[in-house]
Parts: sequence; C-alpha cells; structure tokens
Amino acid sequence: MLQGGLCCQAYRRSMRSRGKQVLRWASLFRIQRLSFSESRHPLVLRKCGQEPQQALQRQLCSSLRSGPQQDLACSRDKDRPETPSQELQDKLKLLSGGTPGSCAHEETIRSLMDLGFTEDQVIQLCEGASSQTPPLSTQGLSTLSTLTTLGLNPSSILRVLEKCPELSRINGNQLQQRIDSLRKLGLLEGSLQRVVSHCPHILTLTPKRLGTAVRFLREECQFTGQQVTEILRSAPATLLEENRQLQYKFQYAYFRMGIQHTDMVKSGLFRVPLEEIRARHVFLERLGVYETPDKKGQTRIINPKLKDFLGASEDFLTKVARASPDEFEVFRKLLTRELEEEKEGQEENSDSEEEEAEEGYESEDSEQTEYRK
Amino acid sequence: MAALVDTRRVLLKLKGFPQLIPRRYRVKKKWAATLPRITSTKLALQNFDVNYGTQFGERWPSIRISLLSEQKYGALINNFSSAQELMKGLELQGARDFVYEARARTWSPGSVGGKPRGGEELVWSSSLAAGQSGSEVPLSSQVGEGMEMAAATEPPSLSPNIKCFTFPKGDVTGFSPARLDGSGLLGYYLLDAASVLPVLALDVQPGHTVLDLCAAPGGKTLALIQTQACWRLAANDSSVSRTGRLRRILQSYIPREHSTEDRVRITSFDGRRWGELESNTFDRVLVDVPCTTDRHSLLEEENNIFTRSRSKERQTLPLLQSQLLLAGIKAALPGGVVLYSTCTLSQLQNECVVDRAVQVAHEELGVTVHIEDLSPLTQLFRDTFNFAQGMRLGELVLPHLTSNFGPTYFCKLRRVN
Repeated sequence: MLQGGLCCQAYRRSMRSRGKQVLRWASLFRIQRLSFSESRHPLVLRKCGQEPQQALQRQLCSSLRSGPQQDLACSRDKDRPETPSQELQDKLKLLSGGTPGSCAHEETIRSLMDLGFTEDQVIQLCEGASSQTPPLSTQGLSTLSTLTTLGLNPSSILRVLEKCPELSRINGNQLQQRIDSLRKLGLLEGSLQRVVSHCPHILTLTPKRLGTAVRFLREECQFTGQQVTEILRSAPATLLEENRQLQYKFQYAYFRMGIQHTDMVKSGLFRVPLEEIRARHVFLERLGVYETPDKKGQTRIINPKLKDFLGASEDFLTKVARASPDEFEVFRKLLTRELEEEKEGQEENSDSEEEEAEEGYESEDSEQTEYRK
Repeated sequence: MAALVDTRRVLLKLKGFPQLIPRRYRVKKKWAATLPRITSTKLALQNFDVNYGTQFGERWPSIRISLLSEQKYGALINNFSSAQELMKGLELQGARDFVYEARARTWSPGSVGGKPRGGEELVWSSSLAAGQSGSEVPLSSQVGEGMEMAAATEPPSLSPNIKCFTFPKGDVTGFSPARLDGSGLLGYYLLDAASVLPVLALDVQPGHTVLDLCAAPGGKTLALIQTQACWRLAANDSSVSRTGRLRRILQSYIPREHSTEDRVRITSFDGRRWGELESNTFDRVLVDVPCTTDRHSLLEEENNIFTRSRSKERQTLPLLQSQLLLAGIKAALPGGVVLYSTCTLSQLQNECVVDRAVQVAHEELGVTVHIEDLSPLTQLFRDTFNFAQGMRLGELVLPHLTSNFGPTYFCKLRRVN
C-alpha cells in the first residue's frame, strides 16, 4: 500500500505519459480490499475518456490513504462544493422530516456528494427514484461506495439501482465479496463494469449459487475456463437462469443442432432465449437450409453459421432463411401448438391408450378414423 | 444419443451360460452387420428433395416447410344436417365459406369489400415466387386485371351447393371435431380444402350420372353427394376395407333416404375394368387416383409408400394412374367431363399421366379428348389457395405456410367423341 509520499496528481501525470506502463504498475501493486467506515470515504475520480486505463488508475488512487479529503485533488473537472448547499439541505429535511438515520443526515449527504453525485442525483437517491427503489438507507450507502469503487460513475450507479433495487439491501462487504468472486472467474476490469451495469442482478447471486452455475458450465457442459469467462462477459443473464433451463438449452444446441462449444460461445448462443433458438432452428431445418450433422459430424449441405442466424431477424429472414416475415410468424404459431400438443401427449401417454374413433376426419391413406394431430 | 460421458466401460467377462450371468455383466459379442434402417419418411424426404428441388428450384424450401408442418383444414358443411346454425357458429369463430365468397365476387366483380379481408391481401409474400417469375409486375395491377378478366369472360361453371369453411390466410386456428346433431348426423367433415376444388371443377349439374373411380376414403364422394345434383352416383374403390370406410362415412353424414342403392352405388371392383364394364355411360367422371400422397408420406410411418418393400408398387404408379384415367375416359359419354386429380407434386404422376392417357385414347381408341382451361377457376380462388404459375397442363395447388392446403393437382378433360 502506497504511503502519502506520492502525490496523486503527479502520479497521474506520469501514468498518462507512459500509457501502457500502467498495466505493469498494476501488476506490481496489490490492490487492497477497502474497508469502509462512515467517516472516511475514499475518493473516486470522475470517469473521463479511456476506460481501462482510468479504471486501473482509479483503483490505484482510491487505495491511497492520504490525510484529509481536501488534499486529494484527483482529476476533478470542476470544483465541487465541500458542503452541500443550504437549499439542498432544506429540501431534504422537508422530504424526510428529519428522522434519524434517514438520508437527510448532513454527513450522508456530504459523503454522497463526495462520491460524485450531483445534487439532483442525491435527491433522487434519497426520495427513491421510482416506486421500486426505496429511499436510501445507511446500508445502501455502503453499497453505493462499493459500486463507486468498482469504477461506475454516478449516473450508471443510479441506473443500476433502478434496474435492481435489491442491490441496495446487500451488505457492502458481501457485495465486495461477490465482485471479487466475479473477478476470480476472469472478468477483467472493463468487462466487469460492463457486466454489472448491463445486468446488475448478477450481484444478487450468492457466491455459492454462482459457483454452482459455473461448475455446471465447466463440468457438465465441458466448457473451458476461458469459454466460461466469455459466456459470462457476453451473456451474464445465463447465470441467473435455472439450472434446468440452462441444461436444456445446452443440450438442445449440442445434440439437436450439433453445434460445438467454440461456436456456441462465439455466436452468443446464451444471449438468445430458448424459444427463439428453437423456432429459428426448426424453421431452417424444415426449409432444408440447416441439417443436423450425423454421428461423424458430416452434413449433406453446408449449414449456415450460427452467428448469422442468431442475429437480427431481418438479416435472418432475408439472408439465411430467404422467407417472408409472414411465413415465419405463422410458423412460430404452428410450432408452439405442436410443442404443446407433444407435451400433452407425453402426459396423457401414461393415462390411457384409448383411441377415440372420431368420425368425420379424413386422412389420406390410413385405415383408422383417428383424429390426426 | 451421443453422450458426453465416455461410454466405453470395462465389462466383466464372466464364464458360464448367458442365462446365469446377470444382465449387467453380459458382454456384447455380436455387433450389427447391416446399416441402420432409414425410416420411410426420411426416404420420402430425400426423394422429394432431389426431385422437387430440381422441379421447383427456389420455390421448393417454402413448399417443403409447409409439407412438414401441420396442415390446414377446411370444414365441408353437411347440407343434410342443421346447416344454417352451424354456419353461423363457424362464422363467429372467424371462418368463412370460400366457395360462397368466390361466387359472390363473380356476381359483382367490383365489390371486393364483401370479403372480410378486403381482397388486397394477394401478396403471396414470398420473395421466392417473385424471384422465380422474374417479372416485377406490381400485384395490385394483377388484381385489377384479374377482376376485369373475371367480368369479361364467363365465370366458370361450378358444382352447386358446396359449402366449405376455412380460416383466413395466416390464421392457424383449428376446427373442433364435428358433433352429432339431433338427427344423428355429423355437422361437417374436416378435410383438406384443396380437395374440394376438383369437385367444384367437375361441374356436376342436376340430372347427371357421376362416377367416382377411386372414391375412398370418401371426402370427394361426400362433396359430390352434397351437390344434390347427382341423379346417380357410382362410387368405387379397389380396396374392400377402404370401401367399408367410405360406407361408414356416408352413414354418418347422409340420411338413409338419400343414399339408397339406386341413388348411390358403392362397389369394390378394380377401376381399370370400367372401360369394359360400363363404357359411354357417365356424364361426369372423377378419377382421383392413388398417388404417393406427398404430405402423408412425409409425416406418417404407417402404410408409407416409400418403404423399400413397396418400391416396385411406387415405380409402377404412373402406369396404374394412366390406365385408370383411360378407363375413366372410356366410361364417360361423348361430351362428358373427366376430371383427373392427385395429391402429389410430381410431374411424372401429373402432367405425364394426362399426356399419356390422351395420347393412348387418341391412337388406340380414336377418342379425342380436349383439355379445358381452368384459369378462370384459379383466378376465383387465388385468395384462398396458392396456385402454381406457368402450368402447362392442369392446375396445381402448392402448400404455403400461410395457407397450408394441398398439394393438389387437377386437370379437366372433355371427351369430344
């Protein structure tokens, strides 16, 4: 841990001039886990420009513990007021009625502003931005600091909280643990922030659940570590899915479509819901455009690449399937009906084997007058 | 299923009689020496991919997917049952009588608004078709021409009293099974709506004697009886069991007084003999020949004509079909109409058979047969069905996902002498 001897600004200047050497510096220093206390809040730089570099810098700078907060003047674009303005305080006091432990506490406001929130954002946080987000509590404050340490800027933090209000209820320490476990899985700095901002629900998973999901992908589905990281990066929502759903999707892709692991990862298969994959695959198969490879992995025709047909629907229809949107719509309805009937058929199979001789139904060559599905 | 787990296990070889060794320890010594059997549906699909792929080119994928998906049904109304309420009920569900609507358009060609869909929906919105024809004629102008044509030329004469309900294009609702009414008859018969077209084209007028040469399973025969214009109807099928089925269907739909022996005669002779049995007798002859029934062959394993044991039968089908058609021509009166229909897309079973029968009739029997143009009829029904363009002989209903009827081929022949 660096001592206060090194001034942050000078440090930054040297970083900027050396460009990529930042990464080397990062490997030299171990980033300490931050401990939170109400009185001292680590400063975070406002996000500007190149992300990964800045992110690392932020990590390094935030681990600095120099004396009073005023000394650290790290890339502030404009001078932020140290104390919250009087109007802001009054407004908040009005809102919460001055109840203890509520947001209107001056120190809370100050710490929020130090974290980088503007006045409007502070108000938003305190009164609860939407009906879903509850007003900020002290626990929420620690969550906010963790998220700030992670490198998210205030507006993205607000968005994240809007998307996933449960986050504010999680303890700061727990949150940090979860972030660390995500890091251990291989999510590097830039991707980690992106993943959290796109899918904040991933932080609601306990490490145990995360571990089960990852273990499933590694052992059952036989993905390599790198592939698992890639899946996490491109489709974090996969981890939130139930194990059974995930397994079904994987098995459908592997056995029924005959796709190998590398293609699955490269094409972003896990981003697309199973119904869509199935609809498109069966559509192409029945058109004769796609053929499941046989035991030896050979096909009689050249299959279209998975990337192409999991893409946007216009591309899919015009380039790969070469069919009209009406046909695909009708086909989707027919397919859902077929699948429902199959499911019913499987359930009824155990019940009775009676054939209902429905009169008045023509089927070409069959001798039976059975209702043909 | 290919398993992720390595399936090679070390099996214990225990000595002794196989019966004494528990099943889990037995070693498999004999492995299959023959290739796995390919199902007949798969064989059919391979056959079609090769043949129809070349025959239809760019249009084949669209047809292929329609054949493999669930077909669309039409409900043929039983006129002998309480038809009016039934029709109202079906209309509430959203179905429409396409025969009635097509006729309504011939009476007043200007007013297309009578149809619920407004008539603009003529885009068989498949870029495949456009690519195939190559011409960029906007479809709206084609509609205009079609309407004018219908008004200018005589509207085609169709068999009367046939009512068949279908759901609109793109609607995949299914009909519920027909229910018995008060008099013990079923309300409607569910069939492929394209099967009604040959009966309409046959143009049965009151007082005609009609022969149905391959009547079973009975959909078209039922439609013929619904016209209530057949003075005498002879329904025949070579298979006894299928004739039995035909009888049962007629029992469920037709009251006894209308299906007495003198009105409807059901027989089980070989259709090819009809030329000798009853030549020059019938005003109208319907020859709905046995064919490879494309849709059925792709989906049903049972009774599939593409099984290897039936390959000889399948290869001699065109010969059988032309013999049946010839018999039909012989059985028809001079001036009578013979309608040939199949439910396959194959040219070998459609145009080639008609060509051959006409040729043989001319050369060996001295009978001239004139092939009538059915394009007015296809113009009438082009909103409901997807007809193939550029057919040299006869008309072909192609399956399309939005209107999954067919495949049905029909060709109208008139015996001149």
